[in-house]
Amino acid sequence: MKNTLTAVLLGLVFAGTGARAQVADFPAQPPGGGAPAGGAAPAAQPGGGQGSSFLGGDTPFFDPGSETIQWDGKTWNINNNRLFEARFEKFLSAPEESEEQDRAYNSILFEILEKLSPNRVDPKSLDEAFGLLPKAAEFRRDAGLCDTIGNQVYSAWMARRNMERLKQADATLESDRARLERNQRIAAQGSSIGGSAPKDAAAAAEWATNQQLQRDVTMQPYVTRLAEVNALLNTNKTKRELQELQTKIEFQALIVQLFVQRRFQHVLIATRFYRSVFGDGDSKLRVDGEAKSLFSGTTGMPPTVGTLDAMASEVIRDVSEGIEAFKYLLEKDELESATKRLAETFVVGEYLPQVRTIERDKKRQALAFVQASNKLISALEVKDYALAEQLVRQLEETAKDFDNSKPLAAIETAKTVAAMHIAKAKNAAVSGDRAGLETELAAATAIWPRNPDLAEVSKMIFSQADVQNKALVDFDQLLSQRSFRQIFDDKERFIAATALDSERQQKLREVLTNMTEIEGAIIRANEIERRGDFAGAWESAERAFQKFPDDSKLNQIRASLTTKAADFVGALRRAEELEQRDQPGSSLAWFLRAQQQYPNSDMAKAGIDRLTKRILPDAT
Amino acid sequence: MARRSRSSNSTLLVVGIVLLILAFGAGGYLLSTSGDAFRTTAPLEVPAYLENSNSLRGNTYKAEGEVLNQLGYSPSMGRLISVKIDATSDVVPMLIPASLSHVNIQRGQRFIFKIEVTENGILRALDLTKA
Repeated sequence: MKNTLTAVLLGLVFAGTGARAQVADFPAQPPGGGAPAGGAAPAAQPGGGQGSSFLGGDTPFFDPGSETIQWDGKTWNINNNRLFEARFEKFLSAPEESEEQDRAYNSILFEILEKLSPNRVDPKSLDEAFGLLPKAAEFRRDAGLCDTIGNQVYSAWMARRNMERLKQADATLESDRARLERNQRIAAQGSSIGGSAPKDAAAAAEWATNQQLQRDVTMQPYVTRLAEVNALLNTNKTKRELQELQTKIEFQALIVQLFVQRRFQHVLIATRFYRSVFGDGDSKLRVDGEAKSLFSGTTGMPPTVGTLDAMASEVIRDVSEGIEAFKYLLEKDELESATKRLAETFVVGEYLPQVRTIERDKKRQALAFVQASNKLISALEVKDYALAEQLVRQLEETAKDFDNSKPLAAIETAKTVAAMHIAKAKNAAVSGDRAGLETELAAATAIWPRNPDLAEVSKMIFSQADVQNKALVDFDQLLSQRSFRQIFDDKERFIAATALDSERQQKLREVLTNMTEIEGAIIRANEIERRGDFAGAWESAERAFQKFPDDSKLNQIRASLTTKAADFVGALRRAEELEQRDQPGSSLAWFLRAQQQYPNSDMAKAGIDRLTKRILPDAT
Repeated sequence: MARRSRSSNSTLLVVGIVLLILAFGAGGYLLSTSGDAFRTTAPLEVPAYLENSNSLRGNTYKAEGEVLNQLGYSPSMGRLISVKIDATSDVVPMLIPASLSHVNIQRGQRFIFKIEVTENGILRALDLTKA
């Protein structure tokens, strides 16, 4: 019952300014879910089916089920409302109202309520209370509401006086009507022409007609005036009823308005004046639609001015309890609960002295928690999980009862998923999957935009991109210069650079394959040379040289070995020269000489076989 | 008388020795000339051949040397062997035509070849004999 009452009160009093505090009430948002930022953006109410029609929809309607405020066809989530956040923080930052003026104002209101108390009220105390209203209205905190009440009371009194005058007029009219009725009756009795009716039937009929005509003419002024008097009486009656009803409705509207504005002390003052002004026992609240159902649904009875009075008293009591709970929780360092209780109390009793007089130091503690909580919410909304985690730790230290489960779950989930995407991005980069790299990086960025790992990876990738571009330029240049050895000497750089370029990768593969062959020949040549077999070493180098004449290192080794195996090399050269000059006999002789000098010579053997085939084409 | 007899014996001895020397010399000469079947043929000038075989085309020479290897064999054209020439220790190729296939030629054997420098500078054996 109490919760329902509070919810209804919240709905009624939420005059477009309030909502429950944005205090560590974290929505568990899925990573990458894109929660709406800011929280102040209203959502359109689909169809407007649940929108309140209370006071024509001009007053917000609080839905405790969804914790939303519906107003003007739009919906706000009270857990995430920037307007209330600002208002609540302003309250927490403001000094308590402990000045002389505040005390004096509260004292006057208390005195008015005392004088209007049902047990004490009489015409004298009523007048005294009425006289205090202008005094209370002089205080800025009152915002002139007591003047408004005073004006309404005065208007009601004036209306009552008008009604008295109408009653006096009715009395005059009533006597006038009685006189007219009597005159009419006398006129009807004394209006005979005289004589008796003739015996003749025709003459008798004419005589009767004349008699009737004479009576009608005599009575006509009385009948007409009587009708007018009756009409005036009816009109006055209707006017009086309407005026009374209008005055009541105006007064009730003021009371409801004060209730909506959460000016509960003023509600009590107004309802007590109302009862004094309209002492006819008719306190039925003339509201229709959802407003009526709200009040009747809460109390289970038709709404009356007394309902509002009771609700206002209940709210004042509830606010007092909320403030006591806040102070107790604050002493226990349970800042989250304390701040929530204060926020709830603030929503309802923003203008009550119990709220206005909370010490500033106590409010500052709540403010620190609220600010950290709001920062945490903002950090989660913008997906700054590093800051969010830091704030969670901070809140854990300051508030014993801080529930870190939701924010930590959101943070850890986001971190884990982001780390997975970054790992995938790295794998994609290594495997040259550019599309995969971009996709994974985009996913990781969407989940945790300020992820320090992401910045590091991006920096690394961009840095690699610069190095890669330079390496590719160098590769192209060296390739055009046929400087394969330089490519080979820096192969690690070019392998990495061409990882994502299949065309260049193929060229590099060819270069490296050739260079591997050259290096193998050089190694073999060196090995053979170490054994003292210069001819064999030369032949190994020469074979590679014939295939790769541009390699400087190979050329250098070959030149050195040519000197060391001069006779063998000379014999082969002479053999080849004579072969080219079409002297197979002499050429073969020189190949044979070379073979004599280096029996294992493949080149000499090849020359011998070649020339033998030429000399004996059908040799077996 | 006796002095005259000793003097004539010495003369006979000298003549006999001279005749014997002459006989040995003639025998040796005959022996030495009777094994060179191609003694009228000029020996091959191996350096010239190695330098430019074309310049020797059409000439006939003789060469003595050791058979080193058979390089190839053609039933129609014969066999190509390598011969190490005694005079220069150079190795030259030599074509033994099919007409000389009746001669067994084996590695390490020594032969005296009568050879002709053919059109393309190949040494083709015209005849051969074991050395």
